[in-house]
Amino acid sequence: MSANLRRKAGYTFTFLSDPKLEVIRRYDLLHVAGGPDGHDISRPAEFLVDRSGTVRWENFTEDVRVRPRAEEMLAAARNIP
Amino acid sequence: MGDTSISPTPRRANSALWHGLLITLFGIAAEFFYFLRLPPPINHVLPWINLLVPVFGLIYLFIGLARAFGKPAVYRGKIWGSGVTVIAILLLAGNVVLFRHTRDVPKSAHAPQVGQHLSEFTLPDSSGQQTSLSQLFAASVDGSQPKAVLLVFYRGYW
Repeated sequence: MSANLRRKAGYTFTFLSDPKLEVIRRYDLLHVAGGPDGHDISRPAEFLVDRSGTVRWENFTEDVRVRPRAEEMLAAARNIP
Repeated sequence: MGDTSISPTPRRANSALWHGLLITLFGIAAEFFYFLRLPPPINHVLPWINLLVPVFGLIYLFIGLARAFGKPAVYRGKIWGSGVTVIAILLLAGNVVLFRHTRDVPKSAHAPQVGQHLSEFTLPDSSGQQTSLSQLFAASVDGSQPKAVLLVFYRGYW
């Protein structure tokens, strides 16, 4: 499904799939029964990670309708030397 | 001895109802403001705006209905005012339900914090190829290598 979306929308960024919720669980992002039909899904979260693997900026929204703006993320990225 | 059903003065427009209607219409439009990609802090306050705007609309509408039903010889709007009020009540109820649903987000207290190190992981990409976190740093778009990677976790069912 993501491959189709990626192609149609022309996205160049990488889509990764976590069907066993492995990484989602590891980062404590699991939203139990948060999806339709009661599926376990991820909660929205963004992490800006530098080359050493250190988190430099992150965002955890309290309301799924409120999303971070690209400007916020780019400003945080510019602060990384 | 006045017969109030034959009033020489024409009925006034019920301004409270009109204000209530405009505010309710704005409330309906505001449901779609998320698509305007407004900057912070406005976008953070939007869910609260969606909740409070119908309340303001209803205050005006109830005032207007009190006038229309209390002094029908003076104020118009019993029928259309009632109709708009029903819509406004539905809008408010819908927003309360939506508000509770969209804020039902887990706390994630143990998620990685700023300054913490992310452990390596490997997940398949959209063509099925296993990709690790460090490999994402190796990928280059314009010949140079990224100084950072943005990981976006989304609700992932579309």
